[in-house]
Amino acid sequence: MRGEIVAFCCERSAYPAADLAGKGKLCYPDNLRVIRIPCAGRVDAIHILKAFEKGAAAVLVLGCEDGACHHITGNIRARERVRYCDMLLKEVGLDGGRVGMFNVAPNETHKFVRIVNEMNEKIKESGETK
Amino acid sequence: MEANTGVFICDCGRSMNNIDFSRVREKVAKIPHVTCVNLSSNLCLEEGKEQMTSCIRDKNIDRVVVAACSPEFKEHVFQQALENAGLNGHLLSVANIREQCAWAHEGDVTEKALELIRMAVNRTRLLQPVEEKELSVNKGVLVVGGGFSALNSAIQLSQLGLPTTLLERESTLGGRIRELENMYGFKTGPMIEAAEGAKNIDILTSAEVLEVEGKIGNFMVRIRKGAEEISRSFGAIVFATGYETEVTDQDFQLKPGVNIISQERLAQMLQASSPKGRPQTVGFIFDFYDENSRFPTLATLSNALAIKQKWGSEVYVLCRDVKVDSEGADQLYREAREHGVVFSKFEEKPRISADDGRVKVEAKDVFLGEDMTLICDLVVAEERILPPAGTKDLSFLLSIRTDSQGFYQDENVHLYPVASERKGIFFIGGCRGDLDFQRALADVSSVVMNVYGLLSSGKVVVEAEKVKVDPQKCVACLTCIRVCPHSAIQLARTEGEKEVAEISDLACDACGVCAAICPAKAIKFEGYSDEQILAQIEALGAP
Repeated sequence: MRGEIVAFCCERSAYPAADLAGKGKLCYPDNLRVIRIPCAGRVDAIHILKAFEKGAAAVLVLGCEDGACHHITGNIRARERVRYCDMLLKEVGLDGGRVGMFNVAPNETHKFVRIVNEMNEKIKESGETK
Repeated sequence: MEANTGVFICDCGRSMNNIDFSRVREKVAKIPHVTCVNLSSNLCLEEGKEQMTSCIRDKNIDRVVVAACSPEFKEHVFQQALENAGLNGHLLSVANIREQCAWAHEGDVTEKALELIRMAVNRTRLLQPVEEKELSVNKGVLVVGGGFSALNSAIQLSQLGLPTTLLERESTLGGRIRELENMYGFKTGPMIEAAEGAKNIDILTSAEVLEVEGKIGNFMVRIRKGAEEISRSFGAIVFATGYETEVTDQDFQLKPGVNIISQERLAQMLQASSPKGRPQTVGFIFDFYDENSRFPTLATLSNALAIKQKWGSEVYVLCRDVKVDSEGADQLYREAREHGVVFSKFEEKPRISADDGRVKVEAKDVFLGEDMTLICDLVVAEERILPPAGTKDLSFLLSIRTDSQGFYQDENVHLYPVASERKGIFFIGGCRGDLDFQRALADVSSVVMNVYGLLSSGKVVVEAEKVKVDPQKCVACLTCIRVCPHSAIQLARTEGEKEVAEISDLACDACGVCAAICPAKAIKFEGYSDEQILAQIEALGAP
């Protein structure tokens, strides 16, 4: 099945949250592909758009809680970039909130799983990109 | 040159039953550039490490992929194995097939594991070695402040052999330390003498910081002392600038004065040996206007108790809640009640008015449900803890942010507890917010350990040019300098007389914010460069 969800996960928050979810055997859809990054602020628009070009159905950028980013403004910059990409996707007709930025603390495993599940439901509704 | 990639797969003691490892092995061997695939079940143990090292050496492998548990756990172990084989530790990618694949899904996930390995192989062949280098640092420490936290940390740092400079804005040391004397029965005289007597401590009073330039290990600080200006270099800076208290605006019908006083004034009155005309009735007001009242609570409880013991007056404490989360506060509260201090709980603001030279306080008691009128000789007003004057200027000077209350570093859990976003600059004690004595003490120990760890050997090991600017591409637009959260980038002149951005290896914290934002794409973050991230995405859905 094609239609992966690519998740850029900050190594200080969302990546450990994803690990913890696995440790706790909290199952989430297996179309998730996590890419580890040092800070959500590292994610550039080209990374998000490339994922869609390669056939991903959705892209998630997961960073630290607001005000608790180790790199102070990294998560805020990521949010701006995600908003920009969302706008670009709308212009090319790829609607439906397929790209999202969320804040996940390292211990918020249930929130992580919920975000992935919700995104998966959303792409099921709006179909695959190819 | 094409990379010679070795893939090491670990089934973690057969804990990943939903992956068919023989099929993984078969398929991975067919990926281009993969010259060797190894399957083991104990890669992170000594024998596994040794096997990996010898395999890398024998087969001339120059890029490595480990498919095993999360890199959060054992990446450093595998890096060690690479280094033992004479390969740079950064030439490694870890495919997380345990936590984020086998354990996170039910049913067969061999395909996903394969895709994760493919992503890692794609990334790893673009990796470049990152060398480590040693840089020398200045061992001197600047401690700004003259209060309890500053004195204590200066004394401890100097005892550890780090030359320490104590810089105090006022003309004498001590700060608000007398308040602690009252509250904790703690003698401060010997502490000030110890600081003054220590050989390693240089004390500058009536001095202030004008400018801080440079990076950790070599901060150039311009200091104004009296009329003269001096420049000195320090390896690290500790700010213990304390706090201020302010009587909160309580819409008094009479201004704070003789009958309505602050905690500080009360402390002075209590210290004076024979107060003339002891007040018969004393009222305290707190926790009406400011919810974050750890320090005011302690001050109120200990002063109420002290009044009972010294003056024997009637004491009433009017408050919404008594918060006893500080260490010892619960006991203080109990003792105060046992000594006859009356606590009354109110929800509405008390009305305060003058009454024939005394103060009349009227309010509705929640438990009695009735209006209560109290005529006091003395009312101690509610106070609020504020950041000290000059905090805004200081944070502008350092380009370090304050939290929503204007304090330093009280909210960001990732920098907790005393570090700031700039390496080598620390904040301790009252300037971090509403701290009690125990928390301030913990801050002191924490900062002493941090600074000692950084500077004691006189040198630090850093990763050389992990994030670097390509001088050919840089157009000196200053975007990276503006966005760098760690103030690690500055302009430097190249040989060709062109000005370009330059990243300090010492101050850089490797977040990649600059690499993402650079309009000229001149910044390369080794390990997370655009090509390396895109290469992982390229592997999506590949057969």
